[in-house]
Amino acid sequence: MHTTQPLVSLEGICKSFGPVKANNNISLNFYPGRIKALLGENGAGKSTLMSMLAGSLQPDAGTIRVLGTPVRFTSPRHAHNAGIGMVYQHFKLVDSMTVAENVMLGQEDGFLLHPAKMYASIATLARTYGIEIDPAARVEDLSMGERQRVEILKLLRRESSVLIFDEPTAVLTPKETEQLFYAFQRMAALEKSIVFISHKLQEVMEIADEIAILRRGEVVEEFDRESVPDKTTLASRMIGRSMNTEMHRPALAPGEEVVVVENLEVKGLQPLSFSLRKSEVLAIAGVAGNGQKELVEVLAGLCAPRQGNVRLLGKSWKEFFPTPPKVNGLAYIPEDRQGMATCPDLSLVDNLLLTSREIFTEGMLLQRSAGLAATLQIISQYDVRPGNPQASGRSLSGGNLQKLVIGRELLRQPAVIIAENPTQGLDIAATEDVWARLLEARQHAGILLVTGDVNEALQLADRIAVMYRGKFVDCFPVTDAVKVAQIGSMMAGVAYR
Amino acid sequence: MRTWKVTRRTEPLGWGSFLLFIMAFGISLAISGFLLFLQGKPGLGGILLLLEGGFGHGYSLEDTFLKAIPIFLCAAGVAVCFRMQVWNIGVEGQYVMGAAGATWVVLTFPDAPMWAMLPAMGIGAMVAGGLWASLPALLRLYAHMNEIISSLMLNYIALVILQRLVYGPWKDPDGAGFPHTMVFPDPAVIGTFLGRIHYGLLACLVCGLGLVFFLKRTRLGFEVTVGGENATAARYAGMPYARLVLFVFVVCGALAGLAGGIETSAVLHRLSMNISVGYGYTAIVVAWLARLRVGRIALFAFLLAGLRVGVENLQLELGVPAAFAGMMEGCILLTVLAAQFFDNYALRRVQAQPAAAGQKGAGA
Repeated sequence: MHTTQPLVSLEGICKSFGPVKANNNISLNFYPGRIKALLGENGAGKSTLMSMLAGSLQPDAGTIRVLGTPVRFTSPRHAHNAGIGMVYQHFKLVDSMTVAENVMLGQEDGFLLHPAKMYASIATLARTYGIEIDPAARVEDLSMGERQRVEILKLLRRESSVLIFDEPTAVLTPKETEQLFYAFQRMAALEKSIVFISHKLQEVMEIADEIAILRRGEVVEEFDRESVPDKTTLASRMIGRSMNTEMHRPALAPGEEVVVVENLEVKGLQPLSFSLRKSEVLAIAGVAGNGQKELVEVLAGLCAPRQGNVRLLGKSWKEFFPTPPKVNGLAYIPEDRQGMATCPDLSLVDNLLLTSREIFTEGMLLQRSAGLAATLQIISQYDVRPGNPQASGRSLSGGNLQKLVIGRELLRQPAVIIAENPTQGLDIAATEDVWARLLEARQHAGILLVTGDVNEALQLADRIAVMYRGKFVDCFPVTDAVKVAQIGSMMAGVAYR
Repeated sequence: MRTWKVTRRTEPLGWGSFLLFIMAFGISLAISGFLLFLQGKPGLGGILLLLEGGFGHGYSLEDTFLKAIPIFLCAAGVAVCFRMQVWNIGVEGQYVMGAAGATWVVLTFPDAPMWAMLPAMGIGAMVAGGLWASLPALLRLYAHMNEIISSLMLNYIALVILQRLVYGPWKDPDGAGFPHTMVFPDPAVIGTFLGRIHYGLLACLVCGLGLVFFLKRTRLGFEVTVGGENATAARYAGMPYARLVLFVFVVCGALAGLAGGIETSAVLHRLSMNISVGYGYTAIVVAWLARLRVGRIALFAFLLAGLRVGVENLQLELGVPAAFAGMMEGCILLTVLAAQFFDNYALRRVQAQPAAAGQKGAGA
C-alpha cells in the first residue's frame, strides 16, 4: 500500500491523566504527501495524542519514530527541530506585529533585520504553497483565517515536514475553509505530511487521504481514501456503542412542567421549543458547538433571550433571574469545572459557598462554620478525596472536583438541574457515581442533560433531543428503538428517513 | 553538561519567603547606594544616613508614623480594588478630594463643636473620595473605558480642582494672598497622644480590622474575593459583578478620602497644595509589596514611610533631590517582585536533556 517510509510513526503510545486513559496503545504512521484526518468525538483523545507528537506532552509508554529513529521530545522545541509543528486552536501570535515579523520571530537570520528582504521571502514562501496573505499586514487587522495562515507560514518557514492542525476549520468561514484545503493539497504535493483533527465528517471525507477514528483513547479503525465507507457508517464508528453497565433507573411519574421554552432565539440558535417536567431527564445530544452552549447560557441566566419565551418554575425569565430562589430553584453544573464551576485557588469550603452562599448567610455575615460542616458532609457522602476542606480546589482531580460541585448544587434541592457533560474526563467509577446521583435527584427535579456522549444520554434520559446546527433534529422517547439507532447520523447531520 | 532548570515549588516557602524579601530589600539598598555613589556621594554612608533618618531617633520614628497613617489607609483601599483585579490608580486624586470634602465641612460649619465636627469631617471626606472614585467605575461599566487610564487621569483633574479651590473661593482672606485656606479652628483638629502621633492611627486600626473582618466574614467580602479569583465563576454563581466593581471603587475612594481628611486636619491644619505629596502612588507600591494582605500593608506602609522620612534627611545632609525617594520605591518594588518569583519556583541544577534525535528537516 505504502511504498515510502513513514516520516513519523507512533508505536503503542499510552497516556493517562490520573485514572483516565486518554490514549491507550495507539499506533499510527504519517507519510509524506498524505493528508491524514483524526476523527473522533470530544474527549476521544485526539488532542492529547497530537500534543505528544508536537512535544508539549510526554507519553507514558510507547515510541515515536522520526524516519525510523526513535526520539523523545521533552519540549515543543525538540519536536520543531525534528520537523514536527502544530497549529493550535488558539493562535500564538503577537497582535501588534506584522505577518512577516511574526513568522520570523525567533528565527531571525542575524542581529539586524532587513524588512524588505523579510517581506519578499515570506511572500515567496506563501506563493509556493498557494497561501494568500500580505506579509506587511498587522496581525490585529487579520481575520481568523488569515491568522491561521500566519501560523502555517511559521511552520513552513521552519521547514517542518509534519504539520498538525487542531480543529482547523472551527474558526473559519466556508470560503476560508476552501482556501485552507487548497493549501493542504499544495503542501501535500510538496511532500509535507498533513495531520488534522476533526469531528466534522463532511470535511474529513472531502479532503483526507487517510482517516483514523479514535474512540475512548483508542484507534478503532483506519481507512484509506478508496476504502472509506458511507457517512452513516463513519458516524456510527465514531460514536460507537459501548454499554458496559446498565444504570438502574426506576420509573418516576413525570410531574409538572418546570421549564418551558417557546420559540427561543439567541445567537447561533434556530427558534427552539421544548418543555421539561419534574422527575424527567431530557438529554440534548449533539457534537459540541451546535448551539448547546448558547441554549444553556440562557437557561442558566448568563445571557438574556433575544426572542421567544422562557418560563422557569412558572415565572418568566426576567422575573426568575435577578433573584432566583435560594432553595428549590435552579442548579447549573457546567462543563468547565476548573474555569467556571470553581475557583481553583480558593478552599473547598469557599468553593461550596460559591453558589450556596445565600443559604449560609445571616444578615450580612457568612456562616463559615455552617459552610464547613456542609463541606465535610459532602466530602464523606460523596467520597471526595483528598478530604481536607481547607485544601485548594486545584488540588482535587477532575472527578473529585466534580463530585464536590454536584454535591454543592444538590444541596439546595433544586427543582431544575442543568448538567453539561457531567462525566467528561471522569473514569468509569466516578462516571457511574455521578449518574447515580443525577438519577436520585430526579425525585425533586427536572434534569436537562447536555451531552456529547450518546451512551450517557441512553443511560439517563427519558427523552432525547438531538441537536445539530442550532436546532433539534428530532426529539423522541428513549424507548423508540428505531430513532435511537439513528442518533449517530442525526448528530452528524446526515439526513435520515 | 549541566544547566539550570526552573521548576514549580510544591511546598510553600514559609520563612524562606521572608529571607527572600530581606535579600531583595538589601539588593535594592545596594543599588540605591550605587546611584548615590555615581552622584559623587558616599554610597554606604548615604544609605546609613537614610536608615538613621527614617528609623534612628524618636522624632524620626514620629515622622515615620505620621506618614505611615495616610499611606496605610490608601493602601488598604487599593488592596480591596486589586483583590477584585480592578486597577484603581486614582488613589492620589481620591485622597485629595477627601481632603477637600473634610475642608468643606470645616468652612461651612466653622463653629461646630468637636463631637460633631470631627465625625462630620470624616463623613465628608469619605463621601467626597467615594464619589470621586465612582467616576472611573461608572466609566468602566457604562462606557467600557479602561479604569487604569481614567482613574490615573482623574488624579490630575482632582489636583486642578484643589488648585482652583485654594486659589479661589476657599483662599484665606487673611493669608496675605498665599494659596491655602484659613487655619482650622481647634475643634476641627485631630489631637495627638504620643509626641506628634495623632489619633488618626486609631482610624487605621479600626479600618484595618474592619477590612479583615469584611473580607473574611461577610458575604459581600466573599463576593469581592471570588470576583478577583475568577470572574467567570462569579458570573456563574450569580454575583452582581458590575455592582461589585462599583462597590470596591467606592470603598477604596472612601478610605483614601478619609486619609486625606485626617491629613488636612491632624497634620496641615488647613487645606493647601501641600496635601498632595504622592502618598496615593506610594500606597499602590505598598499594596503590591504586601500582596494585598492587610497585616503586611501596615508593615510596608511603615517601611516606605520611613524611607520617605530618611530621604528628607539625605536631602539636608547630602543635597540629594527629593525624587530619590521615588527612585528607591521603584527599586524596592522591582527587586521584591522579582524575588517573589522564587516563592513559587525553584532553580535547580540538572543534567541537560540529550537533544532529540532526528535533527532538522526530517524528510526534506
